[in-house]
Amino acid sequence: MGNPLLIFWYRIFGEEEENGPRSYAGAQPLPSIPSGQTSAGILLVLRRMRIPLVVIIVIFAVSVLGLSLIPGEDAQGDPRRMGIFESFYFMSYTATTIGFGEIPHTFTAAQRMWVTFAIFLSVIGWAYAIGSMLALLQDRAFRRALARRHFVRKVGHLGEPFLLLVGYGNAAKRLARALDDMGRRFAVVDYDENRVASVDLDSYRADTPALLADARDTAKLAMAGLGYPNCEGVIALTGDDETNLDVTMTAALLRPDVPVIARTFSREIAEKMRAFGAPEVVNPLDRFGDHLRILLRSPAEYQLMVWLTSSPGTPLPPRRAPLPRGRWVVCGYGRFGRELTDDLRAEGLEVTVVEGKREGRVGQFAGRIDADDLESADIQHAAAVVAATEDDMTNLWLVEEARRINGEALEVALQNRAANSPLFDAVGVDIALVSAEVVAHEVMARLANPVLMRFLPQVPRQGEEWASHMVERLVDRCGRGTPDLWRVRLTEEEAPALAPWLAEGELRLGDLLRSPRGRETPLGVVTLTLLRSGNRVIGPDDDYLLRRDDQLLIAGGPSARRALDVTLTDEPTASYVIDGRIVPSGWVGQLLSRKGPSRSREEV
Amino acid sequence: MNLEKVIFGFFVLLAATLNFGFFLGDIGDPSVHNVYELFAAVVVNLIATVLKFGDRTQIGAVQLATSLVASLQLIAAAVVWTYATNVASDALSHEMTASVVSLSGGAVFANIVSVVLLVVETVSFQRR
Repeated sequence: MGNPLLIFWYRIFGEEEENGPRSYAGAQPLPSIPSGQTSAGILLVLRRMRIPLVVIIVIFAVSVLGLSLIPGEDAQGDPRRMGIFESFYFMSYTATTIGFGEIPHTFTAAQRMWVTFAIFLSVIGWAYAIGSMLALLQDRAFRRALARRHFVRKVGHLGEPFLLLVGYGNAAKRLARALDDMGRRFAVVDYDENRVASVDLDSYRADTPALLADARDTAKLAMAGLGYPNCEGVIALTGDDETNLDVTMTAALLRPDVPVIARTFSREIAEKMRAFGAPEVVNPLDRFGDHLRILLRSPAEYQLMVWLTSSPGTPLPPRRAPLPRGRWVVCGYGRFGRELTDDLRAEGLEVTVVEGKREGRVGQFAGRIDADDLESADIQHAAAVVAATEDDMTNLWLVEEARRINGEALEVALQNRAANSPLFDAVGVDIALVSAEVVAHEVMARLANPVLMRFLPQVPRQGEEWASHMVERLVDRCGRGTPDLWRVRLTEEEAPALAPWLAEGELRLGDLLRSPRGRETPLGVVTLTLLRSGNRVIGPDDDYLLRRDDQLLIAGGPSARRALDVTLTDEPTASYVIDGRIVPSGWVGQLLSRKGPSRSREEV
Repeated sequence: MNLEKVIFGFFVLLAATLNFGFFLGDIGDPSVHNVYELFAAVVVNLIATVLKFGDRTQIGAVQLATSLVASLQLIAAAVVWTYATNVASDALSHEMTASVVSLSGGAVFANIVSVVLLVVETVSFQRR
């Protein structure tokens, strides 16, 4: 493995599956969700309504009692008191403003005095109670309790495997969109109210539960998904490295069986993350350099990798022109600039670094780059200029300035904030490196299909010609949208119809991938990888002979997938597709004509 | 001294004493069961119930349950009394009085359980 790039890919992607997530001794059962959290809403209502209710009861009791004690008279003028029941009836319709009048007899002056008093008292009581109720409905704590209850119910009813998305920034939004297109379910946790609210506005096809909570709180994380057996993965993409580390650790300790993908901008944090289980760590700053290196070596490889890790149906991205291999100027020597310079130097390029002045003049930030610095970097004779500061405005200015000095040079700019992309588009940067985009692609590569990670690290090995041929084949067979990827195992269970041919060992890959409608036309699929007892064959051709227990990573459309499934499971179809023999599908017919798969290849 | 405990203890005990006072006497004799005492028992029991709303503790929840039972029994007694005095042909007969008083007797039992729980909570309360 002399190729430094391969070492890169190996370090980044690793040999997955062989060393699955480490399981801790005595792995805990699913973390339980504190039930008090979920019923908090009702308890809060009851507790807050205590005093208003007591006030109403007392007011009613006093009014009723008074009314039943005050002497009145009937129609004949004989003294008569109202009973407790009559008083209660009168107070009920008076206090609720229904007002039937003076029943059963016209009131005396004394009774009217008391009723006037009781009316005002009850109005105050009701105003107080209704006011408290409305205040409670406006209360943030109460609304949050209700929202939490709603969320827990939604997650509990998901009923299918779902991913837990921690953090809902730009990268997570892109990823969520792609996951939604793939028909995967996910739950979102973020501490920012606006972001959580935007989950509903982003209108995903599936109903997506979103929880407003700090992900560092273990109980909240358990409530959001870790506590459910359906949770199939945790993706930590918050803007804060510490939070991502916290989430990674929590998930690894509480649910060692669940895969974790975490983003970080720092190497130290990445090391800490790797200490717990086997999380996939994505460092966008680090990955930019790797992407640029692949692009430097082979634009077609880069095109293929970006395309396969996009959401399904994404059109084929245009292939970039080969990057110049002359002298590169990197402006800004921050975290990103340093990583990038190392990568470019490792690639054998000459790199000039423009570092801002350490001691700026009065009113100037230290480390800021100005026109003088660019002069000294000799941009006139540079092949490419990289604007790699952590300030977007400076990067834009650097691009403009570099273009003024040398219009020929390739312009590469780091785009720190996704909101600024219209500006970068307007300036017309050749390559804009967007953190959110890189992260989304990297995570997709790990989520789309476990076998894809067997294939992708192999791509940089194959060379430009192979990659462009592969892209052509994919476009030719599967169309211009990103194809679906799936795995086929040629085992007894998953491909029972193929057993006779696999036993003979004479099944050609090209024969298997024919359409059951007419075997002259090949299925719209491409085999990306073939795995055979640990060895892998990248892009096997049609004459490749299949054996039992081979695994295939196949790219193609949904209809081709259904067709292939039929071939794998239905013996008459398999017989037709592979040999062109039409076998009776009825039981009697099969019994009469059964002599094992025919070796004679009749053309249809 | 915890004011909340004082208020709650007061209402629970008052509910029990009022109810007991109403219950006391010949079960079928309307003259020994004052209706205002029943009225007061209903009101005080309702207040004692509402005071336990939203209590998260185990003993608080059981107290809420017993108070609810007492309130419902007393409301049933009040409804029977209303029916007997206002609807039935012979006002407050021996049988009607007996059923009102026996319903309040059931409530007395629930009130006693409430008081016992209150005592248990007080005795098991560690801080002095």
